[in-house]
Amino acid sequence: MATDETARRRPNPRWDQMRRTWYFFRRNTLAMIGLGILIFFVIVAVYAPFYPASGTNLQEYTSSDGAPPSEVTSPFPVICTYQPGELPPAPNCYQTPLGMPSVVAPTVDLKTGTLGPLPFGSLTLSPSGTQLFNTYAGMVKGSDWSLTISVGIVASGALIGVVLGVVSGYFGGVVDESIMRLTDIFLSIPSLLLVIIFLSVFGLNVLSIDLRVAIIMVAFIVVWWPIYARIVRGQVLVTREQRYVEAARASGATSGRIVRKHIIPNSVYPVFVQMSLDVGTIPLAIAAIVFIGFHLFTVNTFPEWGTITALSVSQSVLETFILSCQTSASTCVIPWWQFFFPGAALFMFAISVNFFADGLRDALDPRLRR
Amino acid sequence: MRLWIYIIRRLFLVIPVIIGVMTITFLLVSALPVSERLESALGTNPKVPYTPEVPCSKLGLNQSGECRNPFYYDGLKKLGLDQSPPVQWAIYMGNSLTGHWGYVGNGSGLAGQIPIARGQPVLTVLGWFLPYTLELAAFALAIIMAVSIPLGNLSAVYRNRPIDQASRVVSFSGFALPPFLLGSFVLFAVVLIVGGHSGISPTCSKVESYFDFFGSWPQIECFPGGLYPAWLKSGQISSPTGFPTIDAAIHGQWFLSLDTIIRMVLPALVIAYGTIAVLLRFVRNSMLEVLNLDFVRTARAKGVPERMVVKRHAGRNSLNVTITVVGLTFASFIGGFAVIETVFGLNGVGRLFAYSVTLTPIDFGVVFGSTILFTIIVVAANLIVDVLYAVLDPRVRLG
Repeated sequence: MATDETARRRPNPRWDQMRRTWYFFRRNTLAMIGLGILIFFVIVAVYAPFYPASGTNLQEYTSSDGAPPSEVTSPFPVICTYQPGELPPAPNCYQTPLGMPSVVAPTVDLKTGTLGPLPFGSLTLSPSGTQLFNTYAGMVKGSDWSLTISVGIVASGALIGVVLGVVSGYFGGVVDESIMRLTDIFLSIPSLLLVIIFLSVFGLNVLSIDLRVAIIMVAFIVVWWPIYARIVRGQVLVTREQRYVEAARASGATSGRIVRKHIIPNSVYPVFVQMSLDVGTIPLAIAAIVFIGFHLFTVNTFPEWGTITALSVSQSVLETFILSCQTSASTCVIPWWQFFFPGAALFMFAISVNFFADGLRDALDPRLRR
Repeated sequence: MRLWIYIIRRLFLVIPVIIGVMTITFLLVSALPVSERLESALGTNPKVPYTPEVPCSKLGLNQSGECRNPFYYDGLKKLGLDQSPPVQWAIYMGNSLTGHWGYVGNGSGLAGQIPIARGQPVLTVLGWFLPYTLELAAFALAIIMAVSIPLGNLSAVYRNRPIDQASRVVSFSGFALPPFLLGSFVLFAVVLIVGGHSGISPTCSKVESYFDFFGSWPQIECFPGGLYPAWLKSGQISSPTGFPTIDAAIHGQWFLSLDTIIRMVLPALVIAYGTIAVLLRFVRNSMLEVLNLDFVRTARAKGVPERMVVKRHAGRNSLNVTITVVGLTFASFIGGFAVIETVFGLNGVGRLFAYSVTLTPIDFGVVFGSTILFTIIVVAANLIVDVLYAVLDPRVRLG
């Protein structure tokens, strides 16, 4: 009994190390900024499921005679084309700029003169401009999805990678050789290409959105685990030779116990750094895939940050802009709100994750601490 | 001599990697429905329906329960799809390793987009597109090295001072900004500066205008002032190497050669901006480690000027890490070309690949071909890096 008491009172060395890491991490201003932004995004993501979903779609209402649109009571904001200077025909009706019937800038709200129910403006989904998308609602809704997908992919990839890496590094021999050759193969293909091939084969014929999410996650996990396996194996090779492992083995610990109690806890720190880096990379990668031409998710039903960002600078947006510049210099307006808000959210997320990961690396690596 | 043995040994290690990559691609493409593959390879509506005397039992039924088109039965045999999967795999491997990379499909989405490529051997088509990508990659790599090595050294020497923080912010923002977004900003800026009227055509970011100047020359309409001579537009120039700048130089068109280089600057900068972050961090961290080693202290103690210590003693020794990281990041770097070439409308391999997979039906010939090609590029880059590593650092034992 008494020995149990003392064991419980003795401070846990792992806990001590975490506090030390936090001490060094706290002194890094950029890392703390990154952590702050990340916490903000997590709060938004937690709030997202309670945000009314119906607000993501806008409908176009073309009326210049002042008759109020019939959907006044609907939760959808309505786009109306009416003469400048006149009163809007309906309370939830937003005027569009001349020559660009399908684009609503955030400052167009005539009712209050401030950023209204469309604080981030709208995004054109169809070339005819009849389908518009409420960027703000989409970003809020999408934070949930984006964070879940990224964290899910990274966590699963890291889990597979850690298991295989530990097996490979600890047991060595044929197992090690075959796992490492497998990672060689995966690391020799540009990962984006493999994900794209995977999606093009499995993703295009699937209509259900849940299955598509599952497919994109599987595609990324297939590509993502080898890097973790590599990192963990390298760490395990070092940890395996430590004195405390030798001591554990000498005192009769089984392989399973050594791996669980000594090898894994002491070789996963670099994985945390890599994981936090990758969480920021995945929305960017999804955005790139959508930009290339995979419209995997329709934004009105599945607003995902990468998809919104990619659509905001799609080919049609660029072409509309160039065309508007050709007809006359006065109509040459960059539709900045289309890509600024989604792009900024994606950028802030990725950069805060990077600051965080960099701070974590500096705090964990004693050679960089000094 | 030992270096040669080392290179040959490394080359042997490359073989299983290539075979593995090909197998993975093969497995993925095998998951496609056979009807889709046939449609991609042969086209949907054959002009002359081929009608062999084949019973319905051999043709199988299509989705609506009718006897399958006999034309496709012929194609089934032509593509070897009537064999069992292992035999198909063996045939595919044999063909690929002997340089028969198949043909661009007759009915694939890619063939619809690039009519010139329809039915051509995949290797030939890749040969049209590869030089531009290689040139762009070399350009971007030069920018990356030129910026990240000095900047990394500086931020290590002035650690946690304003210059370190600034370089950190700049490099991380490059990492976090999606390349297509940055590319679009650049396009917006160019259009605003040049104006809509002078030379920027509405088809600038479109595909069709592009392939008139297939393989050798970048998009002409996109650039201001009509700088190109008229004879080039008619497509009468021959391209001995396929590399835009070199071809222009061979033809004595120095101005044109320079112009091609200038035109590559923006895409290369966009690519470089995204990759500098990775390299910069590694250069900084390895420099930090080297700066605390004994021989640097000795150099300082014996009175070597600080500038020389950083340049000669520490810089040389941290170079190894730099080279290794360049090799490691090459895979993600070259994969990003699909995006950049789509933004800027450049006719490189990345864009060819993007077409082959995003346009249905998928052109699996080009998918196979470009995957192998990208893998070879990455593997070759890693090999070169390893050899350089051994050459630069005499302490590295070849084995």
